[in-house]
Amino acid sequence: MTDLATRRRSGPRWVRRGFVAPTVLVTVVLGLYPLIFIVGAAVTESSLGKPFQSVVGADQIVAAATDAGVIGSLVRGTLYALVVAAASTILGTAAALALWRSAFAGSAARIILLLPLALPPVVVGVLWRLIFTPNGGLLDTIRRMIAPGTEPLAILSDPVLAIVGIAVADIWEWTPLITILVFAALIGIDREVMEAASLDGAHGLRLLREIAVPAVAGTIAAAFVIRLVLAFKLFDLVDVMTKGGPGEATTVPAWLVWKAAIEQFDVGRGAAITLLLAVVVTLITLPPILIARRSHG
Amino acid sequence: MNRSRRARAISVSSALVMMVGVGSLAGCASEAGGAEGEQELTVLFNQSNEAGSEWLAKEYEERTGVKINPVLSPYDEIASNLALDQQSGANTIDVATPWYVSLGDLAADGVIQDITDWVDETPEIDVDDFIPAIWEPYSTIDDKIYGLPFDGDTHVLFYNKEILERNGIDKPPATWDEYLEQATTITENESADGIYGASVFGQQSPLILGASFANRLAGFGGSFLDEDGTPTIDSPEAVQAAQALVDIDDVALPTPAETDFGVGNSAWFAGKVAFIENWTDLGVKSEDPTTGSEVAGKWGVQLLPVGEEGQEPRASLVSGFSWVITANTEKRELAEDFIEFAASSEVNAALLTESPPTGVDPSRLSSLEDETYGKEFPEIQEVNRATLSDALEWPTGKNATQAAQVLTDELASLIAGTGGTAEETMQRVQEQWETLLADD
Repeated sequence: MTDLATRRRSGPRWVRRGFVAPTVLVTVVLGLYPLIFIVGAAVTESSLGKPFQSVVGADQIVAAATDAGVIGSLVRGTLYALVVAAASTILGTAAALALWRSAFAGSAARIILLLPLALPPVVVGVLWRLIFTPNGGLLDTIRRMIAPGTEPLAILSDPVLAIVGIAVADIWEWTPLITILVFAALIGIDREVMEAASLDGAHGLRLLREIAVPAVAGTIAAAFVIRLVLAFKLFDLVDVMTKGGPGEATTVPAWLVWKAAIEQFDVGRGAAITLLLAVVVTLITLPPILIARRSHG
Repeated sequence: MNRSRRARAISVSSALVMMVGVGSLAGCASEAGGAEGEQELTVLFNQSNEAGSEWLAKEYEERTGVKINPVLSPYDEIASNLALDQQSGANTIDVATPWYVSLGDLAADGVIQDITDWVDETPEIDVDDFIPAIWEPYSTIDDKIYGLPFDGDTHVLFYNKEILERNGIDKPPATWDEYLEQATTITENESADGIYGASVFGQQSPLILGASFANRLAGFGGSFLDEDGTPTIDSPEAVQAAQALVDIDDVALPTPAETDFGVGNSAWFAGKVAFIENWTDLGVKSEDPTTGSEVAGKWGVQLLPVGEEGQEPRASLVSGFSWVITANTEKRELAEDFIEFAASSEVNAALLTESPPTGVDPSRLSSLEDETYGKEFPEIQEVNRATLSDALEWPTGKNATQAAQVLTDELASLIAGTGGTAEETMQRVQEQWETLLADD
């Protein structure tokens, strides 16, 4: 009797475990293994061809944490991510509200919006590099027409403007994602709520500000978090448009990791910078995640 | 045995026979595949040598029946792609042509094979016919041979005769000061029409900005390391070279920081720049109809300018490539046979004049005297002879790749105006190089 009971209990338990197994496997493969590899590489002397040569403890992590170039790139990357995520969220939300209230919210408008998203980041980089090229690019051609004889506008080789040029391309590429997410939330608002608000005298901007935006605040906050993480991952546009330059003007953390680990063969240093970046990303994204949760609640 | 048992027994027997049969067939197929597999070789090439890779694959297959699978990679990613291929266990590459500066790092990481014994035992390789200034840096690390020279790759100065004539310049520059002076005149006169004095490769990559610096370092008589292998990158000559890059920035095709090979070469082919420092094969491309060149018959070429009048010009080995055999290839003998063919004097000479242009420069002494090359491109053959006397070479040992990147980053900061003076910049590079190359 006891054996039978045990067998009956153990049957469903293994079935349950079987159902959970794929999730566990995916978590281990996609999350745990890379984390172990990165930590292992960060505490050992590791090159591209020969990882885990000898244990060096926290030396590489300390060296990276005290390196002016690494600190500079982390600060630059954080400021960049916050500004670009905020700009994308504001513009994306505004576009979504406009679409929602517009008669042109049909499939054509949505397809046009999706175009930048559909382009590979490398193509976006090449496109914007051509626009910014100081010798025959789109901006330069306009400059020649409006003010002939003036100096060429060299955005990507200017230490201050280069990061702005990349930000413009980045915002152009990813703002449609925010628009789509917020637009989807807006069309989910109960029509009766909107009608009631209208009967109570809420129209135009007031209706958007006091009814529509609060109703989708949770989605906007979640979209901001997604955009923030995407901005922290910036690599392709830097590779195509500036190669991290001029000087270190556009050297963001992901670019620095690639340069250390792949270009300079120093996987140990690349892993150490990755760990520092992970800490920074966690600290920066935690407040908006909490806000998003509260908004949804 | 009843019918059902008999039927089951027949079914099981049939299944076993089929399994054995299929297994045998699979085994045969596997062996056949293995045999066929041995007759193929995967070779990682620099993208700039695409036409060369196609020519080599075709010629080698015609001669031996062995199929060559060329894989193309951007010039600055060959070494890392190679290391990842070998370290990951994928082992898809048998032979590769990395930048010679990365040989030390690849050897230290166990990514490429020591081929000293094979080279010593194979007189057909004809080591004595390699240009001496190219042979050692392109092949040897710590007295062991890891590569054979493929693409010689020295820079020379090309000039557009029409632009010079229009601006009253009757002789191209002999010194870097004259180069700056002439480029300034041309830019002042013609920049409103989109024509500039010089195209300067200044994108932040060792093979691009680093090459432009190396050209000036060679001209001012400096070197990267002294005879003992100690960095001398803060020498007065190196500071002059860095300053010369800063000075040309204002009058060059806007802007050097955004000028890579594609941008610079396009401006040259379109007749938009008077001067361009480039590989000697640019002359071949300038005359070739497939490149869309508008400067055919309108250009001249000379050795790179020097620091002072009367100083001996010196070749700069900016971005040559070497043949290497990967560490984990199972086709060592086939790889040896292929690179013996591909690095031969006969092939080097043939690649110099092929159309479409192969992007290959001389690596053999005999190429410098080759009749066809001399007949079709006499000026280019002549300037290539500069490598006979002496040439400036990059460091090639362990950490050399990182050292080249450090130099490039600091130079980019200097040109962008955020790195202080040329002297301060080179002192910072010297300090970092002393640490990086100390283990060398």
